[in-house]
Amino acid sequence: MTNAFSVRDAHKRFGETPALAGADVALRRGEWLGLLGPNGAGKTTLVRAMSGRVHLDRGSISLLDVAFDGTPAHDEARRKLGIVPQEIALYPLLTVTENLRAFGSFLGLAGRELDERVDWSLSWTGLSGRSNEPIDQFSGGMKRRLNIACSVLHGPEVILLDEPTVGVDPQSRQRIWEMLAELREGGASLLLTTHQLDEAQNVCDRIVIIDHGKTIASGTLTELLGQTIGTVRRVTLTLDGTAPKSLRERGFSIDEDHDIHREVEDVAAELPAMLGDVSDAGAVVTDIRIDTPTLQAVFLHLTGRELRE
Amino acid sequence: MIATLLRINWINLRRDKVALGLTFVLPIVFFSIFAAIFGGMGGGSGGSGGASATKIIVVDLDRTELSGRIVEALDGQEALSVSTGPKPTEEEPAPYTRDQARGLVRQGRYPAAVIFPAGFSETFGDFGGGGKPVEVIHDPANPIVLHTISGLLQAAAMTAAPDVLMEKGMGQFEAAGGTLTPTQRVLLGTFKGLLRGGGAASADRAGESATSEAASSSPFSGLIPVEAIDAGKNEEEPDAKPRSIVAYYAAGIGVMFLLFSMANGAGGTLLEEEERGTLERLLASNVSMQSLLFGHWLFFALTGIAQVTLMFVWAAVLFGLDLWSPNHLVGFAVMTVATSASASAFGIVLAALCKSRAQLGGTSTIVILIMSALGGSMVPRFIMPAFMNTTALFTFNGWALDGYLKVFWYEDPGASLGRAMIHILPQVSVLVVMAIAFFGAARFLAKRWEAA
Repeated sequence: MTNAFSVRDAHKRFGETPALAGADVALRRGEWLGLLGPNGAGKTTLVRAMSGRVHLDRGSISLLDVAFDGTPAHDEARRKLGIVPQEIALYPLLTVTENLRAFGSFLGLAGRELDERVDWSLSWTGLSGRSNEPIDQFSGGMKRRLNIACSVLHGPEVILLDEPTVGVDPQSRQRIWEMLAELREGGASLLLTTHQLDEAQNVCDRIVIIDHGKTIASGTLTELLGQTIGTVRRVTLTLDGTAPKSLRERGFSIDEDHDIHREVEDVAAELPAMLGDVSDAGAVVTDIRIDTPTLQAVFLHLTGRELRE
Repeated sequence: MIATLLRINWINLRRDKVALGLTFVLPIVFFSIFAAIFGGMGGGSGGSGGASATKIIVVDLDRTELSGRIVEALDGQEALSVSTGPKPTEEEPAPYTRDQARGLVRQGRYPAAVIFPAGFSETFGDFGGGGKPVEVIHDPANPIVLHTISGLLQAAAMTAAPDVLMEKGMGQFEAAGGTLTPTQRVLLGTFKGLLRGGGAASADRAGESATSEAASSSPFSGLIPVEAIDAGKNEEEPDAKPRSIVAYYAAGIGVMFLLFSMANGAGGTLLEEEERGTLERLLASNVSMQSLLFGHWLFFALTGIAQVTLMFVWAAVLFGLDLWSPNHLVGFAVMTVATSASASAFGIVLAALCKSRAQLGGTSTIVILIMSALGGSMVPRFIMPAFMNTTALFTFNGWALDGYLKVFWYEDPGASLGRAMIHILPQVSVLVVMAIAFFGAARFLAKRWEAA
């Protein structure tokens, strides 16, 4: 599979401060890639470089296999790129339609094509009923949807999304993910930066984590788990009464609440044996909880920081 | 609690350089400008340290020894700078004719011209009021100059020809003859009163005294009768529509508010784009920085044209400004396009200099008010000291105002359209150069918004 977007060994300094120090990102065609990193890790600089708004000191960027070098081929490739900014970068006194038409025009659309894409956007965002209203009184979720639409009017093959759901309520967020899923079904490749690790874990095919300006891990969640904290599950059994100390000899740990724990590779295979051990010890299990390793844990393991720090 | 609030406010003020400028620097600068205009730099009340001599033309059609003496006395007045002919290109340059002098005043090159008529010396010193009047062709836009010249003429007569006055006075006295009749008493009283004014005193003292007297009395009284003539009045077509002083105020106010509109419009919109994030978004798409700046500049230049046009049409409809004659209309259109183009570019360059809308608001207020004060939007330039008049040439307002005044006030009513355009060519050229320079500077400064 060829790459939709590729950044190799990206270096960038602002004065004495290194912003990128060897970042590598590869967005495959048709893929949904999450770009994660703590604040100050270099995410914004990387996305701005991919948008053509930051020139690298060293390294290379290519979009749809065309190098970022200012040639006509590059300009042509850039027309297939959509950039959704984190800010709600719209004209507040313009109506929905007027905003769409303005940004469509900036993106090179005109005439019937522009009309058709505006109609599509109104339908896609669910804003058809309010198309002639100025957007300054709209909710954050509505503005977010329009903000995304204004970047994808031209039907880009590659879309960079910088925190597309920041500051919106869960329902609106769900609506936005559905919209983005439609784009993906249409064949678009999406690179997403977000602070919502659970969402990244749910929607992204692969994850890239950067810190201190360089890529420190990349892969699917399973691959990342394998590279870091492993894929073991933690099984917790709650007992009806005090946990017998003999369970320690059978590989369980006992906490102060008298819940017992064991880490296992294969829950389905090992859980019956665990329950048998408990029964043999004379205890009765009243509840079972299985903790799956999360992206949050991977992130914490790799960076030593919570994402929001 | 109060101390904490005071401290917070002080820290905020200290760190906000624009607010500091508005609070402490702008009032001082404004005070200094107006003190320099009205008080003379360092000269105190009536001081002349920085005040400029009024440049006038003197045309001596009488060409007698007496008129020569009075012209010389006028030339000796500190308050006047007398020109009797074009700059010498030959050994004995021809003196100005009356028509030349009137044309130069009409064009605003001089505020006034004094014309000594042929036969002036024959009737000079006629205390019965039968003297031939001296014409003072003046620019009504400058309400001071007529009174000043009228007063200084009386002073010049006293200092240059006291002997003639005495001789003429006694001659009239003897003509009346015998014991003093009531008519003789009136004549004597008039004569004594005139001499009491300090005829033999120094020219400067006499000049000051005469000026102050003249300022509070009619310019038509005194030893030398004065006939005031409006330079703008069309002597060939007495029924022609007179010039309207409204043009002066329309231009002054219009240009100042144009600058404010452009700073808030062109500049504000650009910074708003940056703060809102649309600037980043546009630059990341197919829009180039040149296109972005040009688009904003063009829109606000057109807005400026509409704004100034509305003001002048309003002045024409309500205050009788002659906007519709071909020379005025075309001249107005050319000046308005050049002025608006330049003002819009000025707004863009201010935006490129400032980091935020708040900073732009403060900075533009300071810059525009100072430029307006120096450039003549608030106080007519003719009452400014010479150095301030020179300073005005470094301001946008100075050139824009000069151009509009050339169209509506200092025009030649008989000029063809081509000549009328050539008349404003220097101002239009400077404004166009300013527009290009401002836009170039804005483009350079806008690099901060481009890819890092």
